[in-house]
Amino acid sequence: MSARTVGLGLVGALILAWVLALVAPYDIVADVNPARASLGPSGAHWLGTDHLGRDVAWRLLLGSRAFVAPGLLTAAIAGLVGGAAGALAGWFGGPVAALVRYTFTVGASVPRFVLVLLAGAIFGADPAVLAVATGLACAPAVGEAVTCRLEELRRAEFVLALRAHGVPEGRILGYHLLWVNARGLVARQVLQAFGFFLVVETTLSYLGGFGVQEPTPSWGNMLAFEFGIPDGNLLAWMAPAAAIWAGILGTALLGQDLGLREGARHGR
Amino acid sequence: MAGERRADELVAEGLRIVAGARTLVEDATLRVGAGEIVALVGSSGSGKTVTARALLGMVPFAPGRVAGRVTLTVDGHTSTPETEADFRPLRGRAIGLLWQDARAALDPLRTIGTQVLDAARLAGPVPSRDALLLAPDGPLARAGFADPARVARLHPHELSGGMAQRAAIAVALARNSRFLVADEPTTGLDPSVQRGILAQLSHLAAAGMGLLFITHDLRLLPGFATRVVVMDHGRTVEEAATTAGLAGAGRALVEATRKVAGGVL
Repeated sequence: MSARTVGLGLVGALILAWVLALVAPYDIVADVNPARASLGPSGAHWLGTDHLGRDVAWRLLLGSRAFVAPGLLTAAIAGLVGGAAGALAGWFGGPVAALVRYTFTVGASVPRFVLVLLAGAIFGADPAVLAVATGLACAPAVGEAVTCRLEELRRAEFVLALRAHGVPEGRILGYHLLWVNARGLVARQVLQAFGFFLVVETTLSYLGGFGVQEPTPSWGNMLAFEFGIPDGNLLAWMAPAAAIWAGILGTALLGQDLGLREGARHGR
Repeated sequence: MAGERRADELVAEGLRIVAGARTLVEDATLRVGAGEIVALVGSSGSGKTVTARALLGMVPFAPGRVAGRVTLTVDGHTSTPETEADFRPLRGRAIGLLWQDARAALDPLRTIGTQVLDAARLAGPVPSRDALLLAPDGPLARAGFADPARVARLHPHELSGGMAQRAAIAVALARNSRFLVADEPTTGLDPSVQRGILAQLSHLAAAGMGLLFITHDLRLLPGFATRVVVMDHGRTVEEAATTAGLAGAGRALVEATRKVAGGVL
């Protein structure tokens, strides 16, 4: 199996889980039932139950709600802010590039996780706030990549040739450079931003405080809640741990593949 | 239409190009009519390429200053572009460029077919991709490709040097350029491929395109170029017709060569 297949499969499964969770009839709060606490997997409970008797498989599906929609927001912000700033810097060069690069460098000099925690502390730990903060924290990486690609390409002979053919400048930048020659790169960075939000959300939920609070499930708080329960159902914490791992692996593999495909045709 | 076509011409008068403290072109004057192949010859560094770029308003030096006049007549309409804004609408439509390294002049990530299609769409509405690319009188066929369907699916890195130059010609044809400035388009190609490209360019000239053919290889010119303009140290120093048969052309070229310091043969 190629990296692309694995990446597509894992990310596809993630999206499927999210869609199922959106239409799910499952009521988490009403489902507590000590009589069936910490059961192993069975036909009725595919991944068994946690120590409050709640269905682990259902909670795993519902846990995807904690990060998929905000993660998409993170990805969109990282792509739009980083992409636009990077495009300006790479295309115009000179003082514009200096200003953008300076801003990016200052932003990137603070660890991303710290920026996100800071934003959460100031503006409240709402998922939307965390998502916007994570998006902005990831924007310099997107911007740097786009700047580098454009600086390399804007003086390329084929760009001069497009100009000699009378292609308008806006179309050269927007279509020929950004869309045709940099979209794989942007997709890769944006997927990484999504994966990073998954890390942020599950970590915060694992630690408590800023994260998703019980009884609302998150893969992070499921792991924290069930890990170390005596005579517990192992799957109740191993399944969310595996899901976190698979989600990050999937976005990383798919992103890497998209970036490599584009790079390969550039002869690198 | 035919009458108007004959009036099409590309004229540069008294071009002077300065980059910083260096004067690259002192005084260049040349004229290309529709259906003509005018060769611009001279040794390396004589100012051929920068003159060619100036015809499109694309002098590649940031502080480069251009004086003199470029006059373009297309379909009876004459313009004398001076600023970037004047040149922009003329590029591609009135005058196009062929590069020495044609592969580098094509977008590495897209197929030849898509690039030809994009160029055609800039020139006007296109009924369909297949109608444009596969037509017996379509740009790919007119550029000399025997199997347009196959070539249309290839990326630039899959082309040989000669094929890449043909693909670049196809893009210029799709763009419907009336004049082409070809900057050493056959340098680095083997002789039989060179002959094929030259034959193709001759076909285009016969169909009414005006061609400025830049080269340092005088051997290519007899039987190909209508006129030869010799450039030396930034000046156009000599102009000779090559239509007086091979012998006459030969003599003109030998004289021209003598004028070019060091000779290029």
